[in-house]
Amino acid sequence: MPMREGIYGLIAEFDTPTELVQAAKAAYASGYRRMDCYTPYPLEEAAEAIGFDEPTEKGVARVCLIGGLIGGCAMFGLETWVSIWAYPLNIAGRPMFSWPAFIVPAYEWTILFAGLSAAFGMLALNRLPAPYHPVFNAPNFRDGATTDKFFLCLEAADPKFSVSESRAFLESFRPVSVVEVDH
Amino acid sequence: MSNEHGHHAKHLPADLSAPASVARWRNRALLVALVFALLAAADFYLHPGDLSLDYVLRGWLMGLIVCFSFAVGGMALLMVQHVSGGKWGLLIRRPLEAMSRTLPLVFLMFLPVAICVKRLYLWARISNPEEALRAGVINAIQAHAIAYKRPYLNIEGFWIRGIAYFAIWGIFIFILNRWSRLRDTDTQHSSWYWQKRFENLSGAGLLIYSITLTGASIDWVMSLDPTWYSSVYGLLFLVAQGYAALAMVILITLALSQDEPLKSIFRTTEQHDLGKLCFAFVMLNIYIAFSQYLIIWSGNLPEEIRWYMDRITGGWGYVIGLDFAFHWLLPFTLLLSRDIKRNKRRLATVCCIMLFARFLDTFWLIAPNFADIHHNFHFSAELLQYIFVPAAMTGLWVAYMTHQLRQRPVIAINDPHLPEILEPEHAHA
Repeated sequence: MPMREGIYGLIAEFDTPTELVQAAKAAYASGYRRMDCYTPYPLEEAAEAIGFDEPTEKGVARVCLIGGLIGGCAMFGLETWVSIWAYPLNIAGRPMFSWPAFIVPAYEWTILFAGLSAAFGMLALNRLPAPYHPVFNAPNFRDGATTDKFFLCLEAADPKFSVSESRAFLESFRPVSVVEVDH
Repeated sequence: MSNEHGHHAKHLPADLSAPASVARWRNRALLVALVFALLAAADFYLHPGDLSLDYVLRGWLMGLIVCFSFAVGGMALLMVQHVSGGKWGLLIRRPLEAMSRTLPLVFLMFLPVAICVKRLYLWARISNPEEALRAGVINAIQAHAIAYKRPYLNIEGFWIRGIAYFAIWGIFIFILNRWSRLRDTDTQHSSWYWQKRFENLSGAGLLIYSITLTGASIDWVMSLDPTWYSSVYGLLFLVAQGYAALAMVILITLALSQDEPLKSIFRTTEQHDLGKLCFAFVMLNIYIAFSQYLIIWSGNLPEEIRWYMDRITGGWGYVIGLDFAFHWLLPFTLLLSRDIKRNKRRLATVCCIMLFARFLDTFWLIAPNFADIHHNFHFSAELLQYIFVPAAMTGLWVAYMTHQLRQRPVIAINDPHLPEILEPEHAHA
C-alpha cells in the first residue's frame, strides 16, 4: 500500500460522556461529517450527535428490514411451490394452498433472516473485521477508549478539516488533550 | 431526544399533585358519556323491537369487558412493574394505581350483566336442555353441552365466582394502593424494604390474577357460546388485557407529561421503553391469537371450527379483516420504527389505534355468539348499541379514573429510581 500523505485526523480526549456529546453535537452543527466517537460502552447519544439518526445513515435498519422480507417471502414461496406444484399431497382434505400452515415457518425465516442480516449487515457497514485502524496510533487511545475516556476524532478526509482550525475548534471544548493521529 | 444537556440533575417540583388539565379531561369524558348515553337511549326508544333490550345488554357486556380490561389490566401491569423494577415502571405507577382503583365502578357495571344473565347467556336461559331440544329452541350439540357443563355453568356459580373474583382483585388493589401511600410518607424504612414487600405481594398476585382472569374470561365471554372451548382462551384474554391497559396508561402518561410535575421526570428513554413494551404485546397477542386459530383450523373438528365459521363467514370477514389490520398490521409496522416510538404525538396515535383494536376485537368476540347475527353480519339500528353503550361506559370510566388520578401525587417519591430518572438522559448510560 502506498504511503498516504498527512494525518488521519485529530482526536480529542474527554473525561465524561456529557462533554463528548456536547463537542460532537457542536462539530456536527458546524459542518463536520467525517468524524467518529469512541467510548468504553455504547453511548446512544453520541451516535445521535454525529448524525447517525439521519435517514441516510440508517443502513442497518434497512438491511434488517430487507433481510426479514426476503426471508419471509422465500419461505412462503418455497412452501407454496412445494405444496402446489412440486409435491402436491392431499393432507386430510385440506386445500393445497393452506396458507395458515405456511405462516409459522415463514415467520421463523423472517426472524432468522432479519437477525442474520442485522448482525452481518452491521459488521459489513462498519467495515469489520478491521485488522488495522489508525486511531490506535494515538498514544492515549489504547488504554482510555476501553476503560474510562471518551474520544472524538475529526477525520482529515472531511472537506472542512484543517489541522490548525480543527485543533482550535476541539480545544474550545476543554478536552484533556488533542492529539494528531497518523495513518 | 431531549435537547437538555445540563450537567445537573433536575429537581422535583414542590407540588406533585395532578395538573389542572386533568379536571378538564374529566369534564370532557363526562360529556362523551352523556352524549353516547342519550344516543343509546334514543336508539332504544326509536327502534323498538324484540331484541332492543338484548342489544343494549350485549353492548353493556362489551363495555364491561373493555372497562374491566383497563381496571384489572392496570392492576396486573402495576404488579408487573413492581416485580420487574425499572424506571419505566416508576413513570407509569401512579396512573396504573388510579386505573386499578376504578374497580368499584367496574363491579357496578358487572351487576346488570349478572342480574340479566338469563337474557345474555344461552346456558342460563335454558333450564331444561332436553325439553328445549324437543321444542327446537336449541340443537343437539347445544343441549348436550349445556347439560354436561351444568355443574359449572349455572346462575348461582356465575354470581359466586363473579363476586369472588372481584373480592380477590379488590383485596390486591386495596393493599397495593395502601402500601404505595404509606411508602411515600415512610421515613423509617428504606425504599428497598418497600420494594421487597411489593415484589412479594405482586409475585403471588400475578399468579392469582392469571388464574382468576382465566375464570372470569370463561364465565363472562367464552360461555356465551356454551358448546365451544379453547384452552388458550384465558391467556389470550390476559394478553389482550395487558395490551389494552398498556395503551391506555401510555396515553394517560403522555397527556400528563405536558404539564408539571410529570414533565420533570418524563424522558424519551422511558417513552422508548414503553413503546418497545407495546411492540412486545402486539407480537404476543397475534402469536397467541394465531396459534389458537392454526390449531383449530388444522383440527377442523365440528365442535371447534364452528366458532370461527360464525365469526369469519357471512360478512364477518370484513370485521376480522379490520380487527387484524388494527390489532396487528398497523401497530406492528408503525412500532418497528424507532422514531415513532420516541415521538410523543406519534406514539399516542399508535396507542389510539391499539385501543380502537381492543374495542373492535371485543365486539368480534361477543357479537357473533348470538343466533340472530352469527354467520350473517348485517347492519341494523340495534347494532349501533355496540358503539353507543360501550362508548358511554368508557367515558364514565375515564371520568372516574381522572377523579382517582387527582386523589394522589402523580409521582411516587420513595423510590430508588427517582434520582436516576431526574438525571439528564445520557449521563447514566
